[in-house]
Amino acid sequence: MIDISRKQFVLVIDSQKCFDCKACMIACKVENNVPHGFWRNWVRPTEAKGRRVQFQPGQCMQCEAPACVAACPVRATFKRSDGMVVIDPKKCIGCGNCVTGCPYGARFRNPETKLAEKCNYCEHRLLRGEEPACVTTCPTKARVFGDLNDPESKISTLIKKGRLVQVANRKINTKPRIYYTTGTIQLDWPKEPTLPGNVRLPESFWKP
Amino acid sequence: MSDTYKKGLTRRQFLQFSGIAAAATLGGPRILHALVPSSGMAIQNQVVSLSSICDMCLNKCGLIARVEKGVVKKLDPHPKFLKSRGMLCAKGNAGIKQLYDPDRLKYPLLRKGGRGEGRWQRLSWPQALDLAAEKLKIIGEKYTRCGVLFMAGSDVQSSFVNRFASVFGSYNTVSHESNCLVSRNRAYLDTFGEMPIPDTLNSKYILIAGANVFEALITPDSIDMMTAKQKGCKLVVLDPRFTKTAALANEWQAIKPGTDMAFFLAVTNVLIEEKRYDEQFVQEKTYGLEQLREHVKKYTPEWAEKECEIPAQDIRRIARELSAAAPAAMIYPGRRTSDYEDSTQIRRSMAIVNALLGNWDRPGGLTAAREIKVKAKPFDPPFYEDNPEERVDAGRSLMMFEEEGSFKHARDAVIEGKPYPVKGFFTYKVNPMATGANRRKTIEMIQKLDFMITVDIAMSDTAWMADLVLPAPSYLERMDPVTALQGSSACGCIITRDPVVPALFESKPVFWIVSELAHRLKLGQFFNFTMEEYRQEQLKDWPEAKKDLKKDSFHFKHSRIYGVYEGKIYKTLSKKIELYNQRYAEKKADPLPVYRPPQNVPQGKFRLVVGRNAYITQGSSTNNALLSELVPENEVWVHPKPARSLGITSGELVEVSSPVGKGRLKARVTAEIRPDTVYMDSGFGMLSKGLSRVYQKGASIVEILEDHNDTISGNMAMHETFVMVRKVH
Repeated sequence: MIDISRKQFVLVIDSQKCFDCKACMIACKVENNVPHGFWRNWVRPTEAKGRRVQFQPGQCMQCEAPACVAACPVRATFKRSDGMVVIDPKKCIGCGNCVTGCPYGARFRNPETKLAEKCNYCEHRLLRGEEPACVTTCPTKARVFGDLNDPESKISTLIKKGRLVQVANRKINTKPRIYYTTGTIQLDWPKEPTLPGNVRLPESFWKP
Repeated sequence: MSDTYKKGLTRRQFLQFSGIAAAATLGGPRILHALVPSSGMAIQNQVVSLSSICDMCLNKCGLIARVEKGVVKKLDPHPKFLKSRGMLCAKGNAGIKQLYDPDRLKYPLLRKGGRGEGRWQRLSWPQALDLAAEKLKIIGEKYTRCGVLFMAGSDVQSSFVNRFASVFGSYNTVSHESNCLVSRNRAYLDTFGEMPIPDTLNSKYILIAGANVFEALITPDSIDMMTAKQKGCKLVVLDPRFTKTAALANEWQAIKPGTDMAFFLAVTNVLIEEKRYDEQFVQEKTYGLEQLREHVKKYTPEWAEKECEIPAQDIRRIARELSAAAPAAMIYPGRRTSDYEDSTQIRRSMAIVNALLGNWDRPGGLTAAREIKVKAKPFDPPFYEDNPEERVDAGRSLMMFEEEGSFKHARDAVIEGKPYPVKGFFTYKVNPMATGANRRKTIEMIQKLDFMITVDIAMSDTAWMADLVLPAPSYLERMDPVTALQGSSACGCIITRDPVVPALFESKPVFWIVSELAHRLKLGQFFNFTMEEYRQEQLKDWPEAKKDLKKDSFHFKHSRIYGVYEGKIYKTLSKKIELYNQRYAEKKADPLPVYRPPQNVPQGKFRLVVGRNAYITQGSSTNNALLSELVPENEVWVHPKPARSLGITSGELVEVSSPVGKGRLKARVTAEIRPDTVYMDSGFGMLSKGLSRVYQKGASIVEILEDHNDTISGNMAMHETFVMVRKVH
């Protein structure tokens, strides 16, 4: 098993390379036993004049200021030092606040376990020294994954080069840790998070 | 299960397990229990990574299966397999659900009720094989051996079905290809003398007409085309539909269906009139420039504009751009060309443009097949004196391929009983009930038969109509022969398969089935070998390959990619690339493509075009548990303008009907299609109740399509049908 505690995982997606084959979605589904009707990742089309012009892969944004963490009443979901937002199944009570609290729709409640679930970069694969299933299987390698703490890694080079964009809702910024290349157009799929009346997101999430 | 497991463990598998350490280095360290078991049982507690070759479509991509305690848990791409560029698509990832599918055929079944009624009786293998052999024998004696038609799909074991047909004495073998791409093969063979392989990776300009590379995935072309585009290659798509390929191209022209030849004749006109063709190349290597020059004079861009509905200035510009990028420019040959009655001539017009660009045998153009010889075990089939002179479908089209035939023509011949009766039908991993246009005629054909045997993994619509259904294992459970693969600059390679897990249920590979039948029919001497022995013989000239095949299931043979034809002659009558085809002239076909405009779409009707997306392999994968979640049913694409006048909105149920049949499915109202055209995916509207997820879901293309054919190759022509669309109240 590989020690991943000192790593800083980041994902960069080049939407311009995606031709919507959905290999990533099926690979994820098989690797993580995701139940029928639910997905941990997706490919969403961007339309112009009623026609699809780009296909944008996405998944949990592993935010630096995650709305889901703020929404969790029992601290079952938290940000880990390796950059991942994780769920502790022992603590999760399955209340679903994080599901509606995520602006990306990246979470769901597993109907079998009744617990919250989302992308965890295939942690069990990372421990084996493999990449997440979606990264490995992608035909055009539209997803680049790696350790930001390794200055030699491809991901470090990409981040250093800059010219990357992030996906955020107009009103809220959760500081996502998944980046897109600049050719990515009109990322309009994040939603405003909704929460039950007694749960509130801190002021700092809301853009002025 | 444990007994089967022990039996299933061959020496070959055992060796594979001991080679695990080497395989593990490919994708980084894996959790492996290092000890090689002394008995098969110990493996049940192991986690192992075994290589194989995908079989979810025709591409044959390399994979690594993660097997935990004897169960396949995940299929990952093989990172070193160049043809697939280290990827596995959605279908490849879903292969696990072909293996573990409750809908799989489990044991031999004999029809009890009427054909297609779905009443079956379970047989033991000896009962099933005895019965099959007896029926074949009776039909052979009564109607001659050619009274049995054999149809085997795109599979590495199909060669054994054809071998069996040959020794049994029938030369009536039909492949799936005549429902797919024989017209393209015909056109390129009759121009270049062989079927070229496009070097998309290194191209600077690719014109795609009718093909849909980003949905109907072809490895490595689909991936390479995206890589080429990233490097600045221009992609231009001609398609009545805004496919994902069109969406991602630099330019899309919504060409009027059936007019592609007009476009390419006009491009030819510009290349010649403006002297933009490769003069030296054309001079040295082609035949018939003068005839072509004369022939295309009238085919100006201004003329073509009226046919194709593409502005003349765009046609002229595209021709100039092609020429500027040449020889690293191409008209992409594409694959499924079962579209029009002049499919071969349409592809000839494309092949001619390729020839004028001088892209043959050069980087970024069309490359020749590389020499990879894998031997088959030679045999000398017996001669049966009473057999008829010719194939049953002979003479129905001008130039059919002997080994492929034409499903459409063979079906007509069986229905008519002419020129002689065919009363037996053996199919393997092919689904003409879902892929042969005009399904009613396929049913009519089957009703004429005395006995039909189908070997498949699942109860396909074809199996549903059969008399005897025999269960085959999936690719993950099989030992396969060695097969050669080609794929542009990526490979020449050879591949093979060993079982990743033992075969489930009572499934048996078709090699075993035809061997058993041969022995029962006193033809055992033609199948006196095991698969292992056969493979050893195949690998006699490949001593260096054995280690790779054992470890990775593939072996690459690096050889020259370009300039292969230097100093060589072309396999045509003139020994040159034939712009003007002399054989066509002899056969009274047009030696140069002559444009005949398509029939106008009648008022109130649409032209139906068909295709598939990246989650469908025609009739064979839509029932997959994972893929059916992506596409649970098909829809008919209708442009908003006609949809408005028909009162149709997206998601509403509509009826699509033609003179031969009809179907009900949901409408998808979209600006991604021309107003005079509607589109449907293949693979739905199934009749078989054995396909629990897609039974009666959506509508079947072959129920609605009329059966026209390409007059030269006998290829099915599936875009010649006009349909009505109406709202279902």
